[in-house]
Amino acid sequence: MNLSVNIGGLALKNPVIAASGTFGYGEEYVKAGDIRWFGAVCIKGTTLAPRAGNPPPRTCETPSGLLNSIGLENPGAKLVIEHKLPWLAQFDVPVIANISADSREEFSELAGMFAQSPYVSALEVNVSCPNVKAGGIAFGTSPDMCYEATRAVRKAWEGPLIVKLTPNVTDIKAIAKAAVEAGADALSLINTLVGLAIDIHTMKPVLGNVTGGLSGPAIKPVALRCVWEVAQAVPVPVIGMGGIRSAQDALEFIMAGAGAVAVGTGLLIDPEVPRKVTQGIREYCEARGIEAVRELVGAARR
Amino acid sequence: MSAKQIHDVDAVIISLTNIRGNLYTMSLRAPAIAETAKPMQFVNIALGDLSDPLLRRPFSLSGIYPDSGVIGITWAVVGRGTQIMARWQAGESVRVLGPLGNGLDIDELDTSQGLLLVAGGTGLAPMIPLVSRALAKDAEVHIFYGARSADDLLDMGGGCRVHLATEDGSIGFKGLVTGLLEAFLDGGALGDGKPTVISCGPRPMLSAVKRICRRHRLPLLVSLEERMACGYGVCQGCAVPSARGGYHRVCTEGPVFWADRLDQGECTR
Ligand SMILES: Cc1cc2nc3c(=O)[nH]c(=O)nc-3n(C[C@H](O)[C@H](O)[C@H](O)COP(=O)(O)OP(=O)(O)OC[C@H]3O[C@@H](n4cnc5c(N)ncnc54)[C@H](O)[C@@H]3O)c2cc1C
Ligand SMILES: Cc1cc2nc3c(=O)[nH]c(=O)nc-3n(C[C@H](O)[C@H](O)[C@H](O)COP(=O)(O)O)c2cc1C
Ligand code: FES
Repeated sequence: MNLSVNIGGLALKNPVIAASGTFGYGEEYVKAGDIRWFGAVCIKGTTLAPRAGNPPPRTCETPSGLLNSIGLENPGAKLVIEHKLPWLAQFDVPVIANISADSREEFSELAGMFAQSPYVSALEVNVSCPNVKAGGIAFGTSPDMCYEATRAVRKAWEGPLIVKLTPNVTDIKAIAKAAVEAGADALSLINTLVGLAIDIHTMKPVLGNVTGGLSGPAIKPVALRCVWEVAQAVPVPVIGMGGIRSAQDALEFIMAGAGAVAVGTGLLIDPEVPRKVTQGIREYCEARGIEAVRELVGAARR
Repeated sequence: MSAKQIHDVDAVIISLTNIRGNLYTMSLRAPAIAETAKPMQFVNIALGDLSDPLLRRPFSLSGIYPDSGVIGITWAVVGRGTQIMARWQAGESVRVLGPLGNGLDIDELDTSQGLLLVAGGTGLAPMIPLVSRALAKDAEVHIFYGARSADDLLDMGGGCRVHLATEDGSIGFKGLVTGLLEAFLDGGALGDGKPTVISCGPRPMLSAVKRICRRHRLPLLVSLEERMACGYGVCQGCAVPSARGGYHRVCTEGPVFWADRLDQGECTR
């Protein structure tokens, strides 16, 4: 039974990826889970300059979901490249660097910096973070701006290039097409949905940042719909995510058209999700005589 | 290459009791956690396999028994998750991730001048394992413990000097525990002694303790609570402002902090 997949030039031994922002840079994760169960890991969204992040509270549980307003807290690209990535390399799992910027120039500079690192297997361009004021999501809500950000990275980075899309748009297909036209080798979807929670005791929003990004099982149907629409609109592979906690969830995404899946919120609840999902996919395939998980990609639309 | 220090165990509930009112305590069989846990560390408990409630809930270890492989949790019912836990029964098994957080290594702590613990409400829970280890080192331990009323008090082991305060005066000093602490220190009961102060409880209480300790030049450690998602350091959800700008993660750099490492305004939020 063959679990390997290829996502725009990125070869994965299995289709399960750690979603950006729910794995840090791996240092804490390896104390609680076994990193070798991942086909690849995606690091926390990294920016040129260090970012302190948003004021607390930063998380709030909602029905079957999680609202977060971390605000891209990260130590900056230089430190990540010099210290975090060389350390992470010891585990022999491909690393996807998730990058975020306020301008085209910054995207280009960031991509150039990561291109110098021997430890990055792919870049994921985050044009979909709902928790920062400038940049971030702005690039992901208009086809033209998405094209420009992707283009800037494409010129500075030769390896596999993934663009991560937001569902907070009217027509996600148009944005997806713009990213592919600009040179994206694959697309990740979805990032979180903008949401809000109110505390009736304090009569104030729960989150220090007022709004946050909604993730977890609550967004799974939205994510599946996005994967379904985008996978048939573009010729490149799609990484599906949004509420995946089990092999069944992952298989739903694969059948909707995802070539690989990422686990985010699921990882916060259970560090062993990648093992459970990978083993479950294998069992499903073996029970049905399916020789390669690749055969299942888009199965629900045939 | 296995660096695993945090275990996700299926822990069988050995006993679960309603102490009084909305206070509950349970003991769980979790050898992997009991063997390595330090006082003031915590665990993140799954409420089941369903997606609602989704997140685990963090609780301090109120009991650590490495020899028998048992841990204890003591909690107040304040919402849906803690209500679900109150209905669990002995014999059931629950998923427990831990040990989490830095905790306090009693051997690295200066106990020569004694310890002065200040706890509010369920903030007493994490102090219990600390007290027994401090007493084993022959340290002199004072506990200042405050609650709303006698019905809200947790049970405490013997061996230390207990100073009780209740807001309604149903037992002990009538008023806030910080008032009792201030009167004790201002009265010069400690002479020239400079015990390490360790405090856990609501934020306003921690702010008052911080002010009192600064005035009396006493070193202060505080144990903080913050809303958590992962509890093991990967999401950066549990941020508290640092004194040097930026944030600390309560679940990883904490929950125990030297008070001067935190932003001045932090406790008053
Ligand atoms: C490190 C740590 C150790 C803790 N130890 C204990 C303990 O030993 N005993 C105990 O009774 N409680 C402890 N708590 C608090 C406990 O985690 C919360 O009371 C619990 O998560 C509430 O769950 P719920 O579903 O019942 O409430 P919810 O319905 O989720 O919320 C009810 C109320 O609890 C507050 N709350 C929710 N989550 C947290 C949280 N993570 N931290 C603080 N407040 C929260 C909310 O603001 C709200 O007011 C600890 C918290 C942390 C972070
Ligand atoms: C706490 C948290 C932090 C996140 N940080 C990032 C980030 O830095 N960059 C990014 O592209 N996505 C980030 N995300 C989005 C996730 O990678 C993922 O796209 C989204 O949560 C949906 O998947 P899930 O339901 O499995 O969590 C974050 C999500 C969470 C919950
Ligand atoms: S709760 Fe996730 S980092 Fe602390």
